[in-house]
This record gives sequence, C-alpha cells and structure tokens, in this order.
Amino acid sequence: MVTHEEILKIANLAKLSVAPEELDSLTEDMNKIIGFADTINAASSDKSTDFDNINGLSNVLREDSAEPSYSRDDILKNAEDSEDGYFVVRRRR
Amino acid sequence: MNYEVVCGLETHIELSTKTKIFCSCTTEFGGKPNTHCCPVCIGLPGTLPKLNKAVVEYAVMAGLATHCEINPDAKMDRKNYVYPDLPKAYQISQYDQPLCRHGYVELSNGRKIRLTRIHMEEDAGKLVHERGNTFIDYNRSGVPLIEIVSEPDIRSIDEAIEYVEKLQMIMRYIGISDCRMQEGSLRCDVNISVRPQGSTELGIRTEIKNMNSFSHMTKAMQYEIDRQIDLIESGEKVVQETRRYNEGTGCTEGMRGKEDADDYRYFREPDLVAVRVTDDMVKKTKAKMPEDPQKRLHRFVNDYGLTEGDAQMLIEHRRIADYFEKAANGVKNTRTVVNCITGPIFARIKDESEKDSFNINIPPENLSALVRLFDEGKIRKNQLKSTLEKMLDSGKPASAFLSEKDLAGISAEDLKKLCAQAIHANPNAAKDYLGGKQKAVKALVGAVMKATRGRANPQEAEKILISLIGQ
Repeated sequence: MVTHEEILKIANLAKLSVAPEELDSLTEDMNKIIGFADTINAASSDKSTDFDNINGLSNVLREDSAEPSYSRDDILKNAEDSEDGYFVVRRRR
Repeated sequence: MNYEVVCGLETHIELSTKTKIFCSCTTEFGGKPNTHCCPVCIGLPGTLPKLNKAVVEYAVMAGLATHCEINPDAKMDRKNYVYPDLPKAYQISQYDQPLCRHGYVELSNGRKIRLTRIHMEEDAGKLVHERGNTFIDYNRSGVPLIEIVSEPDIRSIDEAIEYVEKLQMIMRYIGISDCRMQEGSLRCDVNISVRPQGSTELGIRTEIKNMNSFSHMTKAMQYEIDRQIDLIESGEKVVQETRRYNEGTGCTEGMRGKEDADDYRYFREPDLVAVRVTDDMVKKTKAKMPEDPQKRLHRFVNDYGLTEGDAQMLIEHRRIADYFEKAANGVKNTRTVVNCITGPIFARIKDESEKDSFNINIPPENLSALVRLFDEGKIRKNQLKSTLEKMLDSGKPASAFLSEKDLAGISAEDLKKLCAQAIHANPNAAKDYLGGKQKAVKALVGAVMKATRGRANPQEAEKILISLIGQ
C-alpha cells in the first residue's frame, strides 16, 4: 500500500506541489494504479513472453554522418526566455 | 595509526564520433551556443532518439581494450532527474545491462584495477551561472559518453592518477576519444574512504564529483584523505555524501548526503530497442583495432632493440609509434631514429595534444633516408642533427642540404694530408704530445674537424695523427 509520505516524495521528485486535502484521493488513485500493475505481473508470470522488449527488435542503428543542425533562432523560438543565444533560467525573486 | 586509502573511480569519456548519440547534430567542440542543436537533443516532445552505430562500436572497442566481456544482450535505460542541463528531464543511459563488464586496467606496479562496467550514455548541456541567472547551451547535450566504473581497487593517489593516465592512453590509442581533461572530454568522480592499515572492512566513503585536472584530483584526494582521518582520530564518523572540490580554497565541501541521494527511477528506455552485440560484430570491431599498446611496447624492445624507456615514450601516442615504425624501416641504428624523434622533433612540439596529432612536416621516409646516410657512414652525428633541424625548418628532404661532396666523405689519403697539415700548423701541440701531454692530440683533431667542416671521422683522424707524430 502506498503511503502519504510516498505520495509526497513522488510529488517532490516530479516537482509538483500537493495540497493536504488532495493527499487522500491521490493516495487512493495511486493504489489503484499499482493494483493494475498486479494484473500485468500476473500475465507476465508466463516466462515465454518478453514484456521487456515487446517488439523483439534489436540493433536499429543510425550511420554516424552529420546533418545540418537547426538555426539557433528556430531552436530558441519556443524558449520562455533567451539572451545572447542562450536559454535562460531567471533567478526567482 | 596508519591508514590505507580505498578508492574507486567513475570516469566519463566523450567519444569522438562525428555526430551525437541520438541525432545527427555535430559533436564539434566550441561552436556558438545552441548552434549544434535539433528538436531531439533539446528534448522537444514527440521526438524520437536513434542510436548512433559508431557509439556502440567505440564503446565495444573501449571494452575490448580494457579486457571486458561484451554483453550480448544490452539495452538503454532512462535515468530520471530534473535539472536545466537535461532538457528531457531524463538522461538515456544504461542501468542493469551495460555494454561491457568485468575488465581491468593494469598499473606499472603490476596491480590490476578491476573494471565493474562500461556503459554508454548522453552528455548533458552546459550551464553558465551569471548574475544569479542560469544560461544554457545545449551544444553538448546528446554528445556520446562512456562511463567507466572501477572497483574500489585503488590504494593511493598515485595509483588513481596512473589509472586515469592509462585510461587516457588506451582510449586515445584506439582513437575513440581525445580525452582532454581541460576541455571536459574526460572527467572523473572519485569514491574514496580510509581504513586502518591491515583492515579488510571498507570505511564509509564519500564521492568527490567532476574532477577535471590531475592537479585538482591530487589536491582534492589529499584533502579528503586528511579530513576523513581527522574525523576518525577525533572519534567522529565520516558521513556518506557527495562532495565538490573548491578550487579557490583547495577544500572539498558537502553537496548532498545519503538521505537525499537521488532516486533516479531507472526504467527501460521505451523509445529504443535492444542492443545485441553479436560475436561477429565483436570480431569485426577487433579487426579494426590497432595493436595493443602493451604488446607493441614489447615488440619495440624485442624487434628494434629499444630500451623499455624509449619504447614507452614512443608508444604513448599511436601516431608517434606508427611514425617510428615507418622511419625505422630498413635502418640499422634504430636508436638514432628514436633520438631524432625524442630530441629535435619533440623539441618542436608544444604539448600533449600536439603529440597526439603528431603533424610533422617531414614524412617518416625522409627521416629514414637521413638515418640511413648515418648508417652508411656518409654523414656524422653532428651533420645528422644539423640536417634534421634544417629539414624540420623547411620540410625538405635531406638531399636538399647535403651536397654530393658532403656525402662523399673524406678519403683516407686526403685525411692523412689534412692531418699532416694540422701538425705542421701546430708544431707545439705535437711537441706537447711527445712530451707526455696525451690531451694535446685533441687540439689537432679539432683542427682537422674544422678543416673538414665536421665531415672527418674524429677517431680515425686521431689514429693517423698519433702515428704521424710518432714518425
């Protein structure tokens, strides 16, 4: 069973803030999700199925030859903030 | 009490492939910020990575060169963490199925430092902190890295430094990285603890992050060893934590402890398929690799009659060793070839990276031709040296500076005549010699050498002079 502390830890790792009143319902949801994983675990107990690599593919590789990169203007187009060609993360005041 | 150092290293090495690990952007160093980028390497949603074939090949080479087993069933994993240098908020790396395992690097004292693993991963972007803001350049984001993890087998600072130097030499040799610490293409994390001499238990370790020079590494390790011993001696405990080295103060400082150690939530990278290196791929890669430097060293000693020290100087850089072999081809005095390289040629090389590229303006065949003239007695050592200098100045072959007359040498008859002239011109020297001053003959030899502009054989001249004086 997932605890409130675990929910807070996961939220912290995901950079999410969780209000105290949300804790109960989030914990309940998370337990349902984990419960669903049990269903998957039950199915994959059959070792003949490689769920880790479901498509069975390997070695899909690219040749090491360079192609032009994007223009810097295009790269920075969606940036919230940029300066002198850099992405910028401003100090929070 | 005496303490023993226990140390293991994690070494990150940037691979010198042409393109990044998951996209076709160039890996070139030093471009303007954010000009070597595309939607893949800046982590835009909806993009998909595609693994660079050369990265797998280079990593396999690194494994083979360090005696690793190549994992036939490797895969890529996601390592999740949130920091602005990582635009996807995860790094694609390898977790439980790394490409190479169980290798070793042998030190000069014969100790083998075992390697736990070598895995492939992507580098992060570069952050510049200024005026309280953070400026991000993603040119380095997605540059391929290998991380080489050693077992805690290192027992001193010297061993740690030698281990890194050996890795550097090996990786440069097989041509997969330039391993320049100052440019960040080789960086180390040092895991270090101390324990009473003779103890077999491991002490509590700390990890010093991101060492980017040998001098910082030496200072940081010494500081950390002293700090840990002080703590133990004063009855306190070393706390397991990650530390950073402060170049300004020469101290290490705590960054984060064990309790807030990262939880990376590794899982299989769903956007990439398995990496299965077959025996055939290993075989093909092996065939492309140069001779093992250690084997080459022994061959240089046995086949060319070099001292181990000379051979070591040559094999450290593959291009120099290759150059030597070409220049020594058909030469009797192979040590003279070594002396030409380590003397006049090295004198014109500024630093290690120039040694590595070894762009010398005289082809090895020309050096070979010059030394063969010496072999045949057509030129003397001083002429060899001065001609080599002229060749290096101009890039021209020896024939441009040595006339036929120079190469003809001095006939025995001419030499006898010149010796007689020298005695005639310096009657006192001959008298002194007859009076018992052995050294007086050297003045006469000098006169003969001067008259022949150094072309005469001084031993030969001395013999003739002595016999003439005696008559």
